[in-house]
Amino acid sequence: MANSDAGGPLVELRAVRKSFGDNLVLDDIDLAIAPGEAVVVAGPSGSGKSTMLRCINGLEEIDSGSVRFDGRPVDPRSKSIGPMRAEIGMVFQQFNLFPHKTVLENITLAPVKVKGIEPAAAQARARELLETVGIPEKAGASPADLSGGQQQRVAIARALAMDPKLMLFDEPTSALDPEMIREVLDVMRELARGGMTMVVVTHEMGFAREVCDRIVFIDDGRIVEQGPPAEFFAAAKSPRAREFVDKIIHH
Amino acid sequence: MGALFDVLTDNFDELAGGLWVTLRLVGASFAIALVVGTLVAALRIAPSKWLQRLGGVYVETFRNVPLLVLLFISFAGLRRAGVPISNWAAGIGSLGLYTAAYVAEVLRSGVFAVSRGQIEAALSLGFSYGATLRRIVLPQAFRTVIAPLASITIAMIKNSAIVGVSLLALPDLLKEARIVQSRTFQTDEAFFWAAVGYLLITASATIAFRRLERRFAIRR
Ligand SMILES: Nc1ncnc2c1ncn2[C@@H]1O[C@H](COP(=O)(O)OP(=O)(O)O)[C@@H](O)[C@H]1O
Ligand SMILES: [Mg+2]
Repeated sequence: MANSDAGGPLVELRAVRKSFGDNLVLDDIDLAIAPGEAVVVAGPSGSGKSTMLRCINGLEEIDSGSVRFDGRPVDPRSKSIGPMRAEIGMVFQQFNLFPHKTVLENITLAPVKVKGIEPAAAQARARELLETVGIPEKAGASPADLSGGQQQRVAIARALAMDPKLMLFDEPTSALDPEMIREVLDVMRELARGGMTMVVVTHEMGFAREVCDRIVFIDDGRIVEQGPPAEFFAAAKSPRAREFVDKIIHH
Repeated sequence: MGALFDVLTDNFDELAGGLWVTLRLVGASFAIALVVGTLVAALRIAPSKWLQRLGGVYVETFRNVPLLVLLFISFAGLRRAGVPISNWAAGIGSLGLYTAAYVAEVLRSGVFAVSRGQIEAALSLGFSYGATLRRIVLPQAFRTVIAPLASITIAMIKNSAIVGVSLLALPDLLKEARIVQSRTFQTDEAFFWAAVGYLLITASATIAFRRLERRFAIRR
């Protein structure tokens, strides 16, 4: 039986350590994420946010500790990693749409080839998702013909097409012009409202305050502080988090 | 002028037959070069040092041995070793495997032009490493190297002339032109028509690659 149905966490990191060479990037990370929870991960650049996110779907191998998804260990070297990743959507800062495929093909490729869904059904679902993210008219377009905001919304639709149990976002709006940030955040807000379990690395503190259940603040590879956004913004306890909040709020 | 066309009409069957042999030689070699070149490129980027080395050995061997030597080895050498290889197999094999080394190198550069993010996007959707390579990386690599692949193909078409005049004695376009020349002593005319034949093939290949490029090249 899947762990999340039994009331356990959907994601669980325990004493995770990870180095690149002699650069200790994740230092004893403990984190549990409940089904339906929306967590924002914040922290200075280079503090290990992306690395932590990538450990959750096995894009990075950890040195010690354990990572579990839905009760099962995440092991980048095992055969089960592919099917497990198929249950975890990931959205990248640089969108990473497949440039040799149309928008519709980007969304249907994995459902058809990984999950074995009928192409017609996958296409119908893809059109629905394009509707959801607000660009139904772009189904036949090439990614290169879309704005950054549109590309990121297609990337979200592509991840959602796999019906994931969890969505990971790594600075999804950091490569966007200001006027496009809103349209992507709106889609993410709707997702969170719909009960999607999400881990979002972002500097958008307005989004964090309004949408997430918990902020996890990372500094230098450690979780320094975590809590509901209201508490975090009003009264962060650690000096590093305070400093971070002040800098972001007064900009 | 009259003599020029007489040489063509008087020896049309030989020259056209030679053109046809060259076309088949080039077509089959191209297919081998693409398939083997893709496999070797896949070795070169495999997640194992040993496979990478194996691919490297292939490329260095076939790029650093003259085609003519390959032809000698594959035909005379193999036969002396008791392998009953036909002149067709030796010609197509040598030209194809030789060209594959260049295809592999160009494809490898195309693979490196595909961003790390593309691979991560595919992996995160649940594709295996192999499926990622096959569905995402290689199709993009091919699309970015259409122009250099065209140059390799043109070079291969011209290199095919070596096959006919080597000991393999395949009756290709250049071989037939030499036969016509030695029979009629109309050297300039015979080789003029051989040149026209090669130009026909290379020009068609160029046009085909231009079309491919217009249709498939990736805009980033
Ligand atoms: N593939 C890698 N190889 C070596 N060092 C890396 C790699 N990825 C990240 N790092 C290093 O790990 C640290 C944390 O990086 P990252 O997780 O990307 O931080 P963040 O997302 O918080 O900005 C940085 O010092 C970065 O240079
Ligand atoms: Mg990052």
